[in-house]
Amino acid sequence: MWSRVAAWGGGAGGGGRLAARGCLAARLLTGPPRGRQAAGAVRQERRPRSKIQKLFSTSTVLSTKEDGLTASADSTTKTASKSQEDSAETPKQKLLNIIGNMKVEVSSKKKFQQLKTHETKKQAMNQLEGLDSKSSTFPKTTEDIQRGKPLNRELVEAASAVASSLPLNKEQTESDLLAQLRRHEETTDKQKKGGTINIRNVISDMTIKRESPAQRGVRISNLISLELEEDGKRIRPERLAPQSSDSRRSLKVGRRLNIFTKTSPDTEKALKTESSPTIWDVEFAKEIAAVTEQPPRNGFEEMIQWTKEGILWEFPIDNEAGMEDDAAFHEHIFLEKHLEDFPKQGPIRHFMELVICGLSKNPYLTVKQKIEHIEWFRKYFEEKEELLQEI
Amino acid sequence: MAARRLGGSSWQQMSLLSRRWCLQAGSAGKREQNRYSSSSTTLEKTVENSEVTREEIVLPRRKTWDKLAVLQALASTVNRDPTAAHYMFQDDPFLMPRNTANSRLLSLSKESGRSAAKYIIKEFPQYFDKTTSEPNIPCLMPENLTPQIEGVSEAALKERIHLRGVKASVDLFDQLLQAGSPVSLETTNSLLDLLCFYGDGESAQEKQNEQKGDLEEPEENTSEQRSPKRQFQKSLNSSGFRWRENSNAERIFKIMPERNAHSYCTMIRGMVKHGAPAKAYDMYTDLLNERHKADVHTFNALIRAVPYLKEKFAERWALVKDFLNHMVQQEVQPNVLTFNAVLKTLRRCGGVGRGVSLSVIQEMNALDIEPSLATYEHLLHIFYRSVELQPSTIIAEILEEVEKRSFTPQDPDDANFFPTAMQACCDLKDIKLAYRLNKSMEKGDNWKFLDMDRLNAYWSKFFSLLCMMEQIDVVLKWYKEMTPSLFYPSTRSMFDLLQALDAANHLEVIPSVWEDIKQLGFSRKQDLLEELLSLMSREEHPEEEHDGAFPANQQDPH
Repeated sequence: MWSRVAAWGGGAGGGGRLAARGCLAARLLTGPPRGRQAAGAVRQERRPRSKIQKLFSTSTVLSTKEDGLTASADSTTKTASKSQEDSAETPKQKLLNIIGNMKVEVSSKKKFQQLKTHETKKQAMNQLEGLDSKSSTFPKTTEDIQRGKPLNRELVEAASAVASSLPLNKEQTESDLLAQLRRHEETTDKQKKGGTINIRNVISDMTIKRESPAQRGVRISNLISLELEEDGKRIRPERLAPQSSDSRRSLKVGRRLNIFTKTSPDTEKALKTESSPTIWDVEFAKEIAAVTEQPPRNGFEEMIQWTKEGILWEFPIDNEAGMEDDAAFHEHIFLEKHLEDFPKQGPIRHFMELVICGLSKNPYLTVKQKIEHIEWFRKYFEEKEELLQEI
Repeated sequence: MAARRLGGSSWQQMSLLSRRWCLQAGSAGKREQNRYSSSSTTLEKTVENSEVTREEIVLPRRKTWDKLAVLQALASTVNRDPTAAHYMFQDDPFLMPRNTANSRLLSLSKESGRSAAKYIIKEFPQYFDKTTSEPNIPCLMPENLTPQIEGVSEAALKERIHLRGVKASVDLFDQLLQAGSPVSLETTNSLLDLLCFYGDGESAQEKQNEQKGDLEEPEENTSEQRSPKRQFQKSLNSSGFRWRENSNAERIFKIMPERNAHSYCTMIRGMVKHGAPAKAYDMYTDLLNERHKADVHTFNALIRAVPYLKEKFAERWALVKDFLNHMVQQEVQPNVLTFNAVLKTLRRCGGVGRGVSLSVIQEMNALDIEPSLATYEHLLHIFYRSVELQPSTIIAEILEEVEKRSFTPQDPDDANFFPTAMQACCDLKDIKLAYRLNKSMEKGDNWKFLDMDRLNAYWSKFFSLLCMMEQIDVVLKWYKEMTPSLFYPSTRSMFDLLQALDAANHLEVIPSVWEDIKQLGFSRKQDLLEELLSLMSREEHPEEEHDGAFPANQQDPH
């Protein structure tokens, strides 16, 4: 867990500074849970640990905000000083400035980022009301103002003396962090119970004049969430609606689009025209086949693959694999029936039987070729017979 | 004479057989008489027997086995060896890969060796013309890719298209047109298909000379069509080619005297594939103006291109609905890919998408289209990767569906389901869901959807979830089973393991964990070392443990 905090601290860009701060604050808050023996306590440790994780995410965000602010010190000092003077534009501009300078982190606890911006907005509202009285002091009592003030104070201090004021910053921001952590615990409890009641209260309290900052605030806070909601419209009703219909959500039950109608399979088949597969189809089929093609996991699977490719013999082994021969063995061997045209006795017959014997032992000729041989002999002897009979 | 004897004996055999099979009594009797002329009494008995006891022997049908049946049966008996790396690596302790990067490198090098061999055979076919193996093995012999038909004719063009030579086909087509001979619509359409698919760049066969050894995925099948296909899987714009204004496909399309629906469709698909969605939409309006009907694949491509056409969510959804209505008007039946394309577009529609996606699923059920894994993956992404993790029951229902059957791939996005689902389980921190998901993955052929990278990601996430949620002995049991055969732990996984050990105070396992860390090659990682050392120095270890773990410190206890 400590390492996780350290990792986030590293990621936030604050470096070791934040890690030390974070560890300190974490130790203060989680002193008791240390040294647990039972493994079953792992589960109980989850909640405070996760809370701390969430809290630290906001703290890292805060640190990045500070860093961001220190980075762009000049412009924001001007705007900050301006904001102290302007009254109507303060919350919106301030919010925009803050959020614009904030480096957005990719963290899974965006919920609390939104919460924080809501809180800053709410606090900005309060600040609008009571700006004059609490401008200059180092207030540590009122939590509301404290958060808004350190921004400016941090800004000023950091701009003036960065290196030397490091220890000073550490203490101050530690106390800030503690206050903020406590606040966030409260808000998480409230959120758990009441959903988005906080926001609703804040927004319902506002008059019409302040409706637009709230709306923009909501929109900007949605922009911060990495969902890329580019829609410019009010998203609030949509966001609340899914929450309310959550319980009814199911894959099986629900309304249809009612765009398509189910046709019977006959008409479907009739509509399908048979055409030769185009290059698109062929390549798509190859792609689909490649989705589940994995290298073989053992020797047998490798042999299966080779058999499919034709590299390996097919079992049970067929001696004649690959040899195309239309005729069965008896047509090769029993060639006697082709000798019907020859005389039954005599040297010609004898000769032809020897020829047939030789042909039957010949594995290289096809049946057709053997029959052709015999035919040739027949023709030859027929011609010769005429000659012989002449003589 | 010899033949006659032979004939006689075979005739005898035949009669034997016939007697055994109990043929008609009359013919059997005759043969019996001829053969057993000497012993007539026995003959009569046997004749009577065969007549009286006419058992009908029912021949069982001869079983024909698939050529792979024996091998598949044998393969099913072999289980995974948890202590060995994947089969494709050499089974030698020195040659086995140590961590993820190494394993990827080794598998890639194996594949590149194979493709180098194929390249040599292709480049120098004159050395490989003797076929020494009988029967001939065609896949190992060099392929003959040169077109046989010479001359300027349509048949030659068809052949070049068949052999997928993009440049050659285009040149020949131009020559044909210049010669004045008309090219039929079909051939032109197939030429357009070729051009739109390969995007007017070179086809893979011509590209391979430039991209030697440019492999990215360690899959077994490195056919030559690999490089454009893999990139196609990545995004809408594939093969790095963007549709040019004056590409050959457009030029040929414009000069075609007549076009049918197929021409428009293939142009639309090509434009969507190569990153010109606005043009695809214009082409589609042209198609509508010409009163043609598009086919289902064109609609799928158009629906996939919607996020690039419109910015606002409501507009995107409205456009998708338009396309679906057009499908109904043109009487095109949607298939599972249509709905997957709709859901993929809804992924990028934010809140609108979330509200509507379930209605899409209902539509699919109403049409009796079986959802594929990609459908579920899109759903999970819509509901579980958004900002607010609303605890909904969608994932439980999806798991129920997935558990029931073993899936066949229908969509290239199917492979993303398991990693996304495991990520959702991790985000929800629900270990029971993860176990169910695991079981459904091991069912049937579902394991095949995870290739090496996704396998690693899936198991890493599962392991982190285990470390967070389960007791230490379960974690250690899984750890021993999963590495190194299924995945190689990353730094993150070792961190999780150390924290789990820390939480359970089971620190005596740390020496063996250190061995593993060394073997994985993480022994120089600063933060891991710090974590390990802080754990080791956190408590005083009892004396007995010193003997085993740190023999050097026997005389010098802390």
